[in-house]
Amino acid sequence: MTSSGLTRRQLLRTGGVAVAAAGLGPAVLAGCGGSDDAGGTGGPLSFMYWGSAFEKKAIDEMLKKYGKEHDGAKVDPMYVPVSNYPTKVSSLVAANTPPDLAYLGTGQMYDLAQKDLILNLFPYLDKYPELKDRLPSSYFWYGKDKLAANQLAMGVQILYYNTDAFKAAGIDPAPFTADTAWSWDDFVQAADKLTVDQNGKHPSEDGFDSGKVKQFGTIAPIGGAPLYSLLRSNGGDMVNEDGTKFALDSAAAIDVLKKVQDLIYVHRVAPSPAQLGKNAPTTSVQLQTKRVGMIIDGNWTLLDLMESKVPFGVAVLPKFKEPLTMTGGAAGAIFAKTKHPEEAIELYLYYNDPEHVDLFKDGLWAPLQKKYYTDQAEIDKWVLKDKYPANFKTAVVDTTLKNGVTDWGQQIKNADRIHQVLDPALEQISLNKGAPVDIVKALKPKMQALLQGKWPLQEL
Amino acid sequence: MTAVLEKPEVAATAPPASRPLAPRGVGKKLLVYLLLIAGAIPTLLPLVWLVRSALMDSGQIFVSPPQWIPKPFAWDNFSGALTQVPFARYFLNTLIIEAGVLVGTVLSCSLAAFSFARLRWKHKNLVFGILMSGVMLPYAVTLIPTFLFWQKLGLVNTYVPLILPHWFGTGVFNIFLLRQFFLSIPYELDESAYIDGATPLQVYWRIILPLSKPALAVVSVFTFLGVWNDYLGPLIYLNDSDKYTLAMGLASFQGTYTAQWGYLMAAAAVVLLPIVLLFAFAQKYFVEGIALTGLKG
Amino acid sequence: MASSPMKQEARWGVLLALPAIIGFVAFTFLPMIASAVISLTDWTIGAAPKFVGFANYTRMFTADDSFFKSLWATLYYTLGAVPLLLIVAFAVALLLNQPVRGQGVFRVIYYLPAIVPIVANSMLWIWLFNPDFGLLNTLTEKAGLPRSQWIFDESTAIPSLILMSVWGFGNVAVIFLAGLQGVPRQLYEAIAVDGGGAWRKFRHITLPMMTPTIFYSLVTSVIGALQVFVQAAVMTEGGPNDSTLFYIYYLYRTAFTNNEMGYASALAWVLFLVIMAVTVVLFRNSSRWVYYEAGSTR
Repeated sequence: MTSSGLTRRQLLRTGGVAVAAAGLGPAVLAGCGGSDDAGGTGGPLSFMYWGSAFEKKAIDEMLKKYGKEHDGAKVDPMYVPVSNYPTKVSSLVAANTPPDLAYLGTGQMYDLAQKDLILNLFPYLDKYPELKDRLPSSYFWYGKDKLAANQLAMGVQILYYNTDAFKAAGIDPAPFTADTAWSWDDFVQAADKLTVDQNGKHPSEDGFDSGKVKQFGTIAPIGGAPLYSLLRSNGGDMVNEDGTKFALDSAAAIDVLKKVQDLIYVHRVAPSPAQLGKNAPTTSVQLQTKRVGMIIDGNWTLLDLMESKVPFGVAVLPKFKEPLTMTGGAAGAIFAKTKHPEEAIELYLYYNDPEHVDLFKDGLWAPLQKKYYTDQAEIDKWVLKDKYPANFKTAVVDTTLKNGVTDWGQQIKNADRIHQVLDPALEQISLNKGAPVDIVKALKPKMQALLQGKWPLQEL
Repeated sequence: MTAVLEKPEVAATAPPASRPLAPRGVGKKLLVYLLLIAGAIPTLLPLVWLVRSALMDSGQIFVSPPQWIPKPFAWDNFSGALTQVPFARYFLNTLIIEAGVLVGTVLSCSLAAFSFARLRWKHKNLVFGILMSGVMLPYAVTLIPTFLFWQKLGLVNTYVPLILPHWFGTGVFNIFLLRQFFLSIPYELDESAYIDGATPLQVYWRIILPLSKPALAVVSVFTFLGVWNDYLGPLIYLNDSDKYTLAMGLASFQGTYTAQWGYLMAAAAVVLLPIVLLFAFAQKYFVEGIALTGLKG
Repeated sequence: MASSPMKQEARWGVLLALPAIIGFVAFTFLPMIASAVISLTDWTIGAAPKFVGFANYTRMFTADDSFFKSLWATLYYTLGAVPLLLIVAFAVALLLNQPVRGQGVFRVIYYLPAIVPIVANSMLWIWLFNPDFGLLNTLTEKAGLPRSQWIFDESTAIPSLILMSVWGFGNVAVIFLAGLQGVPRQLYEAIAVDGGGAWRKFRHITLPMMTPTIFYSLVTSVIGALQVFVQAAVMTEGGPNDSTLFYIYYLYRTAFTNNEMGYASALAWVLFLVIMAVTVVLFRNSSRWVYYEAGSTR
């Protein structure tokens, strides 16, 4: 690559000329220094993360605070917008200058762990027992005694609803304990009452105009965590136990897919994907504008909801057979190349703790440690009474612990590629391009070819 | 591969080019205005949409059927967007890169174009053709090799990888454009200068460049926009958020789980404003300038 | 100054072009060679590359549906977007070339869309396309036309993105405008003396004199369109049902989501060859319609 014949000094000099010519020399030269420290090759720890501007602020503050509490230890935050995050990780890894700590998408994390580029936390478990005190589903194992990471926070599915919309439709508050969860029919019925067209008619009434809906009952959970929660609730799954066989074609799974599709095209209580729009309004906006009465979404949405002053409630998901909710989250990992593994682990433990990071109290994250789900005094530390909605404990905290099923993507190998095949098929279902049974049939061979089993689990 | 791209050479012997004849009669003028206004409406509507969204709170943005007038005017979208992301810092950073890239591009591309258009040397058309092939290579694929190159030089997390290549004529479209333009300048001008003992560099600097302001303005505006909008480059090469650019600041309004739409649109409007002003200023140069310099004469 | 003037000129010529030549070698040629070598390997970032010969290329043509799908989507987009873009830009340039009061203001207005940052532009259009509260359906409804699903339906997704790309006609229009200003006035005067009308002027002077500019814009627009990326990345993620899986987006996903650098490099080389072939065809045919005076290359 250096055969262009330029030495580093020459390059620098030319760069300096470029800058001086622009009359902005000092400013740029300042910007040119110190590159050797970044990228985790020495000196301070680097911490790479994604998120909104709001999250950026919270993380930067946390890192500053960490420094203050640890003898001025310096942590370089490396904020990268989420849209091209994997690209940035790839380039840093290719250059052999990964950060010390990083958020990682599950697929990329396993890929790196497999190549021994992620620090194996297993040997450190005895020295740092706090690492063991987490919900079992939050660990990422990549072999026997090989622990790559934890989730960076816990994520869980919740049924959110606008309490005003419920009142207006004459519906009692949605159930907030697992044993009183709505059946699917209850859910559809409530959605019907919530759905009104511009003449005030419900879908089950004559003369309902599905082209002019003022308020929808819900959003059809065709895909992602909401769908997976329901699949499991009915005894279905995406793949079999060991992840080698496609299982979405089971009767139980097809039943769920059909019923979810029916929300849009039979019961007409949910907008089609086109009506909904891509990338557009988040759950909080949908509820705030009463465009939609209730939505299944992740706990992270609480951040927006609690900020927006929408009158909202939280409830457990409707059930098919068993009341369940999916838990999961991206990985927080440490790179094997770090020169300070122990400092990195200390920082790792620090940012996982609701006592240090406001993002838990703000609603974006749920904690990983068991004690925050079992001990009332600990729960109170993050589920702030004057901020969180009523019944959050039974609807979310308890169900995470007792009714949680782990995201299948957390354990399946080759997840990214599988999604590239699966997601378009689910999209076909949500667009009503065919009966779920046929779409799934066509999907089967494509997906089967990509299945390579699951990553292991291990008891601690 | 390039000969066909040259401008008609009629100009070299003809009197000054100018605007076409003015439309005759009031009726024709009226028609021009009608068409201009009719075209301006669809052109502007999406931008009006952007501005109205920037001034609405998220509740109103997503009402169906859509509304046009913000109620209330959510000016705090702007203050919110401007405080959540250090725009002043990013603005300055972007300007630093802009300055470095602009000077480098204009110099290196015009020098190369001058050589290709107005000096005789062996195989120059072949060399030019090969240079042009660069634009056909997808950017995504040279990303990692190029990154490794800068990494080896220890220049990652500086602005050098974002600026320096532009001092080496990497904007080949610009070389192309400038060469086209230089070809249309009469050669008599150079020749009389050479007779007076000028060097090619002096001809370039004293004769060709001053006559080429419009083309240079076009190149500058395109280059400026390219840097202004570049997102992948800064993302790959910069690690410190203190060094980030406006395009990256804009991207940070798109979070993992949430998009702050009102803020995003407000931020987009803020990022847009300077280039609107720049263009309003530059368009005189680069469009009208061609006629005014009388360079065809 | 012992050497002959000719030799001196040649020396200067090489010297002045040298930065660009060095830049090409360092920033285009070497990465290109690197990617060619990588394309012969199975390489995932973080592991050592394994040499696999032409296996990546074989896979592309024998075992990869997405490759053909993405190639088709990209060609479809290019064939739709480029002609429309050129026609609209040309019409706008003709209008903006009319010497009327307020010309400058209109020029700024018409150029505005081209300067909206690409990411913001994509975000904006996601909204405009929204079938429920987007601008476009509001307008079609007012005009009594049926609602469209725009980017949310397989059959309308690419046409929608074509529409969006045409909105950014400003850059091409500016180049056309500059070209129009370069058409010598006396040619028009000559036809005016002959008693020719506006159409004749357009047909026999403007259009032929503009062909080099049109050709330049055609080539650059085609090359640009074949590398369309952001719309797929930000707006559609290749959907629905992979209908907007544009080539570069697919390549990018292969490289950075699936971490298959070797295969991605092979994809890039095939696209490179496709673009090259298209460009050669365009150049070959250009002599039939591009008007240029006898060669002036010195």
